[in-house]
Amino acid sequence: MSAGQIHDLGYKRYAGSRRSMGTRWTVIMRHQIATAWKGWWRFKPWLIAGLIATAVSGGILYFLSGNLFRMIGGFSGQVIKFADGILPISMAWYAPIGFLVSLTVSATVVAGDVQSGALTFYFARSVRPRDYVIGKLAGLGVLLSLIMLAGPLVLAGVRLGLSDDRHQLFELLPVAYKALAIGVLGTLIYAAVPLGFSALIANRRYAMALWAAYYLLLGSMAQGIGRLTSPTVAALDLASSLKSVSLSLFDVHRSGRDLSIPTSAALISILGHVAIAIGLVVWRVRNAQQTGVGGSS
Amino acid sequence: MTAIIELERLAKRYGPITALDDVTAVVGGSIIGLLGPNGAGKSTLLKCLLGLLPYQGRARVLGLDANAQGAEIRDRVGYMPEQEAFLSGMSAVELCTYAGELSGLPRTEAMQRAHAALYYAGLEEKRYQPIDGYSTGMKQRVKLAQALVHDPEILFLDEPTNGLDPRSREEMLDLIVDLPARRGCTIVLSTHLLPDVDRVCDHAVIMHRGGVRFVGTIDELRGARGRDSELTVEVKAEAAKLGEALTAAGATCKVTSPVALQVDLPANATTQLVFATAQTAGLQVRALAVRRESVEAAFLRVIGEPAPGPSGVPASALPGTLADASMAVAAGMFERGGAGGQR
Repeated sequence: MSAGQIHDLGYKRYAGSRRSMGTRWTVIMRHQIATAWKGWWRFKPWLIAGLIATAVSGGILYFLSGNLFRMIGGFSGQVIKFADGILPISMAWYAPIGFLVSLTVSATVVAGDVQSGALTFYFARSVRPRDYVIGKLAGLGVLLSLIMLAGPLVLAGVRLGLSDDRHQLFELLPVAYKALAIGVLGTLIYAAVPLGFSALIANRRYAMALWAAYYLLLGSMAQGIGRLTSPTVAALDLASSLKSVSLSLFDVHRSGRDLSIPTSAALISILGHVAIAIGLVVWRVRNAQQTGVGGSS
Repeated sequence: MTAIIELERLAKRYGPITALDDVTAVVGGSIIGLLGPNGAGKSTLLKCLLGLLPYQGRARVLGLDANAQGAEIRDRVGYMPEQEAFLSGMSAVELCTYAGELSGLPRTEAMQRAHAALYYAGLEEKRYQPIDGYSTGMKQRVKLAQALVHDPEILFLDEPTNGLDPRSREEMLDLIVDLPARRGCTIVLSTHLLPDVDRVCDHAVIMHRGGVRFVGTIDELRGARGRDSELTVEVKAEAAKLGEALTAAGATCKVTSPVALQVDLPANATTQLVFATAQTAGLQVRALAVRRESVEAAFLRVIGEPAPGPSGVPASALPGTLADASMAVAAGMFERGGAGGQR
């Protein structure tokens, strides 16, 4: 006895071409961006904060580079030096914003997918673990780069635009590369590292808490221990490492309160964190691929 | 019968544990029931077929090598998982569109097919609501739709009627029966609910302890032991008297009512024995039918566990699920009997 009614809008077998395997990650990337954009609290407030930070930094940069300030200051060389310092110093504003994005977006990605069974959804179809990892990383990378990379690049653009002449413009061109470098590092930190933490726990709230604890508490502890022992230990604090690399790249002298973390240690710490985090995600995802479909027996 | 799955000495070991033990089989059909107790190797077989686990031997799905072409196979296969496998915060349309795109469909095509698949699965206007608020029945329908959206040639359904009320179960089974004719796809139904297999499947694969114990049609499964010798006989009266006479002639009988009995004929005997014995005893046979095994009974026989006979528990009294059947066996509910299944 038939209990239900069969609905059909007219079925035709799909005969068109399919997207190539090598580009499936772009679908995941797009979905990651769309998910973060949904709702007002995940990404939008932090993007606005990033825009404000850029506008304020750009304004300061413009003001300090202007003729009026030079005339008032009367020691233009120092002022210009200070103006150039705005760019690396601005990372101190971008970093907390990046951390907030990482908390509301990056730190919940894999944990959320494990919690909801979404990894089975992905791997029952022709998604490979590398598509998932690259897609998620790229999606988070795009989101974070809107703050961590676009901000410094805009500031670099402002600085270049304020050049007195073409000669100075060419002289200042490395500013753009340096901004790109610190922007990429910042994006990597806040996209990849929390993603790794989200692969450790199958609960999105706990994953957020774990990342926050690591970043804030362990970071503070590393700084404290670094002050008492060797500044290299403080490289474990990702925010300090990023700041250290930024200041070093732009050759800005640290204030007395700042720990002088060796640039190499800071770079090793950042890249090491990123590598371990990606390794964790790959491990979790490979494991899920083999156990999710059809249960775990 | 066109083979959709070909296995040749397929083996999978997890350390010392053998999950699949040199499995060789050719599987075809329209709706295929994949049966086996827990730990039989069904999940491992499924993972191997989808190219998710490396294995020894050979496994081909739709002519593609599962070890080397897993992703290509998964583009042509749909999978409806037993457990929830959704992305939180999405509506059914969004989820199915995303599923289609992940399987390689262009976005517009994926969206059109998502609507069609959800409509087909009976979600209609509810397809725009977030899945998080769906009932179990609606979630099962979304799972079916997301497995259908990319136009698969084979559909693996893992316990599709789990947790459904009787009406929803019937509707889901109606959809499953309708799919091969309407969409031209083969269905592999993995379930513990043997009545579902009885209702919709035309073929069965029975697994036990890492091996395939039976591959064939449901009719072959039921008649796999030459069950033409097992009869239900109705007489005008005095069934017990006919039972005694047939027992004396070497048959095994069980009187089920004053006018009916179940008869297992002795070797080489035909139904003529029943008529001749009845005539001798002065009784009138009103009906005689070959007693068909239930899928449950056939399943137990094939995996080598006790099967019900005329003197045991009637087939209709058998529990409905493999888990129940295994528990009943463990509790000594059935007498041991019957041969093993076919390879």
